[in-house]
Amino acid sequence: MTATLTPSPTRRRTRVRITLAALAAVVGPGLIAGLSDDDPAGITTYSVLGAGYGYKLLWVLTVSTIALILFQDLGARIGVVTGQGLTGLIRQRYGARAGVLSIAALGLANVGTTTAEFAGIAAGFQIFGVSRYISVPIAAALVSFLVLRGGFRGVERVLLALSAVFIAYIAAGFLAHPDWSAAFAGSVVPTMPSGRDEVLIATAVLGTTLAPWGLAFIQSYAVDKRLTPRELPLLRWDVITGAVLTGVIGFFVVIACAATMHAHGLVINDASDAAAALEPLAGRLASELFAAGLIGAALLAASILPLSTAYSVCDFAGRPAALNDSLAEAPLFYGTFALVTVTGVVLVLLPGVSLVPVLVGTQVINAVLLLPLLGYMSGIARDRRLMAEHTAPRAIAGVYWVAVAAITVCIAALGILSIHR
Amino acid sequence: MASSLLHPAPPGRPGLRSRAARGSKLLALRREVAGALVSVAGLAGRPVRDGDRNVVGTVVEVVVRWDAGYSPVTGLIVRVGQRRTWLHIADIAAIEQSAVSLRSTRFDLRDVVRREGELLLLADVIDHQLVDVSGVQVVRASDLYLTRVNGAWRLVGVDISLSSLLRRSLPGGLGRRPSPSLVLDWSSVQPFGVPGGSVRLARSHSELRRMRSADLADLLASLGRAERRELLGGLEPGTAADALEEMNPRDLNDLLRDAPVEQAAELVAAMEADEAVEALREMPPEERDELLDAMTADRGAELEALLQYDEESAGGVMTSRLVRLPEHDTVRDAIEEIRRQVQEGETPAGVVVVDEHGALLDDIEFVELLGADPETPLSGLVGPPWPVTVGPDAALPEIVERMTDNRGSSLLVVDEANRPIGRILADDVVDLLARPGERRWPWQRSTGGAQ
Repeated sequence: MTATLTPSPTRRRTRVRITLAALAAVVGPGLIAGLSDDDPAGITTYSVLGAGYGYKLLWVLTVSTIALILFQDLGARIGVVTGQGLTGLIRQRYGARAGVLSIAALGLANVGTTTAEFAGIAAGFQIFGVSRYISVPIAAALVSFLVLRGGFRGVERVLLALSAVFIAYIAAGFLAHPDWSAAFAGSVVPTMPSGRDEVLIATAVLGTTLAPWGLAFIQSYAVDKRLTPRELPLLRWDVITGAVLTGVIGFFVVIACAATMHAHGLVINDASDAAAALEPLAGRLASELFAAGLIGAALLAASILPLSTAYSVCDFAGRPAALNDSLAEAPLFYGTFALVTVTGVVLVLLPGVSLVPVLVGTQVINAVLLLPLLGYMSGIARDRRLMAEHTAPRAIAGVYWVAVAAITVCIAALGILSIHR
Repeated sequence: MASSLLHPAPPGRPGLRSRAARGSKLLALRREVAGALVSVAGLAGRPVRDGDRNVVGTVVEVVVRWDAGYSPVTGLIVRVGQRRTWLHIADIAAIEQSAVSLRSTRFDLRDVVRREGELLLLADVIDHQLVDVSGVQVVRASDLYLTRVNGAWRLVGVDISLSSLLRRSLPGGLGRRPSPSLVLDWSSVQPFGVPGGSVRLARSHSELRRMRSADLADLLASLGRAERRELLGGLEPGTAADALEEMNPRDLNDLLRDAPVEQAAELVAAMEADEAVEALREMPPEERDELLDAMTADRGAELEALLQYDEESAGGVMTSRLVRLPEHDTVRDAIEEIRRQVQEGETPAGVVVVDEHGALLDDIEFVELLGADPETPLSGLVGPPWPVTVGPDAALPEIVERMTDNRGSSLLVVDEANRPIGRILADDVVDLLARPGERRWPWQRSTGGAQ
């Protein structure tokens, strides 16, 4: 065929377009899952870590980021290879009890995190002087309307851009003139946390960085993106980029807070305190900047979480889950969506609830509920029937189990210290 | 048949209201039906007793022979001490929910051999994805029910309810009791993982005939990778290709790139040329060339030629399969040629009449052929209304304009010498105009395979 020998201009143009499309098709899951980890709960937890304990617990963030890379990569790979969601796969591989356990853990963690997102919305609007009894119900109604009407895609990017405000922490970190040597030493040299509060915040850092919903989310995202095993190497870079970005932003939040607040002995009692770390950068506008970022990130996560939960529940139950199904066709899907949203809103609006403990506390719960999911994922990674030639080699599986063991120790320590207080 | 009693609740709707209305009578009947069923999930780990009621082992697996209708149980895999051993159904006196009893005290320890056409219910079916062929949906089995029919144990129903799934996680006898609430007839379910291939959909008299290509496309898109590969492998290429034409580009791209090259090439070759080209365009160039090389030379060359055109131009959306005949051929010849192409899986839309240089004379509609005497030469039918044509580089607005002008269902694409090279159908134009906006999340995916 002469045509193949002399490519016409049209053909070359198509080629270029396809190469770009292939790249764009792979980029996404890791990056979005990673960036969504910097939600209000994450930012608040990192802020409390920096303000309360300076640089010495930064290594927890390093460890969490490594675990994030490991397990996000595993989740994405399982999704690509099996073409199935996480909860359905756990049910298939480990049976009904394991399935019920994991969906219960995931559901509980997601309700907690949704509550944290609404707490973020409340905290953000409080800085602008809006009562949570007004901001939270309106935000919930708005988010549900957008998501259910399928208009989410249009605003998704706006919200992502808004939450990118947190990149400002990188500049704030530099401007705060932190003690760099102490920061780097804290990042790599583990100092054992002493006392209940330190273990608590270390566990929360782990739970917010490696969130259960992120694992289920990246897997379903990879399935839905229709990535094939051929794209796994590219996908791995996407995951690493997203996870490292999360870690880096977290790092700068911690050092910005450590240099400004910890140095002056300030503690974080509400979200506007956390904004103080942005003052070296934004001056008097620090609070407003922080609030805008908080609201954007919270709205983004509050849109994804109920949806992701509803998808996981339907995947587990083997029921249809699509937004263009009617209420009668997919009652489980819409029921879960509504339950998660309403529970989150109600918990935040309970009188006398203070927001920072809610934000941090839910992340501790996340870390605990993470365990069964990580265990099952590690098992699936070694299952030759499911993963075929992508089965994790013994050494890699060993790393997964070491990570699971480390998290178990962390949580066990928390439990023991809480009892022996 | 028990399963037909259980069938009234349509899948996806537990039908709470209607159930309450029918009241306690149905409830009693339901309890009776449940009593006649044995839950397969509940059999796992139950003791196996010999003729003297001594426990000799525990149930590990229930094995059925895959066939049309209700699969008969061929035996159990039983753990005796540390060993897994095969227990033939002929040695079993009774299967009850609480225990399995043997006919005698003698019990041979036979090795477990996996035979072709046998299905392991606990390992391969329960909690796995299945295709509900009559409801056209992908489901997961919460439980399976056995019952005794004319002296033989058969698998009759698949429970897909959430309540049965939750029931199974309860401890003790409560977790084992059959609770049929949303049960599909086993004979209308397609499982996966049967050695030797088993696709129910592939049978010539199957329900598939009644299934729309779009539904099949939707099923393929909802299945896991391994399950999809198995289903696709069991379909005839023509049937599969029809379904692929209905898939959205992203799902199709994934499916073709995932399949072995020969199978993918066969599928693409069986698709309509314009749809095939669209699919090929989505692929990375090396993989596309690999596919084209694996096809027959002329099909490959045909698609290759179509790929040269810009995808937004007339050449990019046309199909190059034409019923093209010289003017001295008769109506009978034309009908024979149409018949031949239809048998090859094409759907011609008209007869293109050309002169000795291959230049277009007329495009004759089938209606016109039917009204003519079979011996009439095609030249006798040439006349107004004249066919509407565009060049291969015509852009979408021009195509739409020409098509609305002519009010026909298709238009012809001709080269500089007025030789017909392809045809654009109205549905291709509709596809172009209604390009789907890419949706991101699983829950935002259109349930119709064709977006």
